[in-house]
Amino acid sequence: MAAEPPKRQKREEYKRSLAADDGALPKKKFFRQRAHANPFSDHALTYPKSPAEMDWASLYPAFAVKKPAQGEDGKEIDESRADGQAAHEEEQREARAITKDVEIADIGCGFGGLLFALSTTFPDTLSLGMEIRISVTEYVQEKIRALRSQNAENQGYQNIGCLRANTMKFLPNFFRKHQLRAIFLCFPDPHFKQRKHKARIVSSTLCSEYAYVVRPGGYVYTITDVRDLHEWMVGHFAGHASWARVEGSELEEGVVGQCVATMSTETEESKKVTRNNGEKFVAVFRRIEDPAWPGEH
Amino acid sequence: MISPYQCLAACTRRAADGHEWLLFGATGSDLVVQSSSGVASTWTPEIAAPEEPDREAAQEGPPAKRAKLTPVAEPKPNLSHLKVTKDGKHLVAVSAEDKCIRVFKVGDQCQLVQQSQRCMGKRPSSITLAMDDTTILCADKFGDVYSLPLLPSPEDEQAATPEPKDDQKKFEPSASVLTVHSGRNRKALEEQLKQAQKGAKQVKDTPRFKHHLIIGHVSMLTDVVCAKIGSRSYILTADRDEHIRVSRGIPQTHIIEGFCQGHEEFVSRLCFSKSGRLVSGGGDPYMYIWDWLSFRLIEKIPLQEPLFEHYKGHPHHTGAAEFKVAVSGIWAVPNSAQEILVACEGVPALVSFKLGSSSRTGRVLPLNGNVLDLAFIAVGAGHSIAAVSIDHVHQPGSKHELRQESGASRLQCLSNHNSGEWEDDETLTKALERFSRSMPNGARESGTASETDRGKADNKAKALRDLLYGVENLRKRPGAED
Repeated sequence: MAAEPPKRQKREEYKRSLAADDGALPKKKFFRQRAHANPFSDHALTYPKSPAEMDWASLYPAFAVKKPAQGEDGKEIDESRADGQAAHEEEQREARAITKDVEIADIGCGFGGLLFALSTTFPDTLSLGMEIRISVTEYVQEKIRALRSQNAENQGYQNIGCLRANTMKFLPNFFRKHQLRAIFLCFPDPHFKQRKHKARIVSSTLCSEYAYVVRPGGYVYTITDVRDLHEWMVGHFAGHASWARVEGSELEEGVVGQCVATMSTETEESKKVTRNNGEKFVAVFRRIEDPAWPGEH
Repeated sequence: MISPYQCLAACTRRAADGHEWLLFGATGSDLVVQSSSGVASTWTPEIAAPEEPDREAAQEGPPAKRAKLTPVAEPKPNLSHLKVTKDGKHLVAVSAEDKCIRVFKVGDQCQLVQQSQRCMGKRPSSITLAMDDTTILCADKFGDVYSLPLLPSPEDEQAATPEPKDDQKKFEPSASVLTVHSGRNRKALEEQLKQAQKGAKQVKDTPRFKHHLIIGHVSMLTDVVCAKIGSRSYILTADRDEHIRVSRGIPQTHIIEGFCQGHEEFVSRLCFSKSGRLVSGGGDPYMYIWDWLSFRLIEKIPLQEPLFEHYKGHPHHTGAAEFKVAVSGIWAVPNSAQEILVACEGVPALVSFKLGSSSRTGRVLPLNGNVLDLAFIAVGAGHSIAAVSIDHVHQPGSKHELRQESGASRLQCLSNHNSGEWEDDETLTKALERFSRSMPNGARESGTASETDRGKADNKAKALRDLLYGVENLRKRPGAED
């Protein structure tokens, strides 16, 4: 076998050195990864069978129902499931649980610019960044670890987490029905080619899935610098019976206004667009209450 | 050699002297029908004439390659799914390679008259009938479910014909120079501009008939079933990524009610028990029983264990580690509220188990060969008769080795009388003798294969294997890319 490519070697060395220093912020250059991932392929992903089996405690240790017995051993919970006894499962379930639900999902969080902003904008809400690219996810996780360590005194950045996931396939594995109050879709891959459109993060059938995890009255926030994609996203959400576009002054007021402002300034991509003097297209959609079943009132 | 029946379907219909049953079978690209009165008929697709090379075009262009002397005829598409309406008047057949949904009218003398032929954009992986059999639901390999009218009315056709679009609409790239780009996106943009200069881009033909996208997964769909509870109708879809999704029925299919979560491997089949439970199976070594209205798993019934026990000494089963089950069929026994029959790919047996019974393991019912499909024939309230399609080409228990002996029947009929035990049903076997042996005109094969035909025969064997055994291929392979 050939020698390890120097790039990978460098990265591994860097990651080892990073692990030794709790407070050090990670450097992006060691975590870059090509900007596209195929959402249809079987990545070697880990995901829970159902939301009830999700190990939230390791992502948000400050909110764990049961504090780990020894120091920070949050992840080292006994994984042996051989006996499969109900009591054991119950114990595991408890060890994975947290005291409040994740309510904001940043889908395709990238290097996490928005996620870190959400942490301070909504200090009492748990937000989760979800990213399909493995290195980029690692970067965000490292940064969360560093920021938590730096802000240990005031318990900062305990309310955000990041994991690798293909949300187009596995969103309902992480979230219960109506669990979320907001989803952010910031600068998603535009998939310019016509035959790649099915790979876009917004489609009429995915709108149904977003409507499943977002509670009535919740929101989806989208931003892009590609007009065509903007129109595509608006067309699909506005054309879907579970969503209504939020327009006018509502976009500037209250929580919605806060979210729009944060999204327009804090994401890594939006900073780049600002530098380039590019255009930004924002759209917000409210989850409408489900109608009664046909023939029922 | 004739190929086995890869699909079966059955129905009961009103006849001159009371009721009669019909059994439909798909063998390769052909259909065979037989009724209880003994009338039988077959249907073979018309062979599309091989395209003549366009000589004029060839003369104008650069010197063309020498045309082949014998144009290769397109192989006829194999049928992959059969569904018959409850009244027995129509049969829906799906062919795999050309992605076509064909609807047939079933005549009084069992003759099949094709009424429509609609080719979908992606290969259908399952179909079912909804809205009192007026609507076909077609789930495809791309993860989408479309609804189509069973019998398109002339208005439907008119409505579905797209108005000529303004083709001259000037192409505008979707990105500007200011757009933040990765190298790839920039290349794509350049491509688009180049394409625009060349001329209007060709938009791939979308089907010209009425069809609506109603549900979609980002995963290959494996099954779709409908249920009606009171006035509420539901559509359940299963996919390769372990999901079973419960959506509302038409016209509220955009509302997802929930998911039945618990499978660890692909889900391949869904079935409702007569008592209303959902039974699901796939690549897991268990059958899953659900209280699906509350998305709750009731129990997991071991499937691999009893099969492995039964076939421990069998030459085709190498060992526990390699012995994996892939459920290829689940059926609820009509005269029993609780009994379920399960077929696994490449296994010469059915597994029978009863929901809610104290014994949590299934019973293995050995059969003459690998089970391909099953259809229940209604003969009376007292007992059930099952026509089982048997792979008479491959060795029982193997998906690769061919049988040495010939003359094995491709149908096995079972009945359960009041005792609840399944036994071979001699009467029906005799009645279906013709069906079992029937060989449509197209399926005939020339005598023994010569040496030069060996390669062809190998190809044929592989094609047959792919046609009969596709479920195990749904399993995810370890070591997929990052």
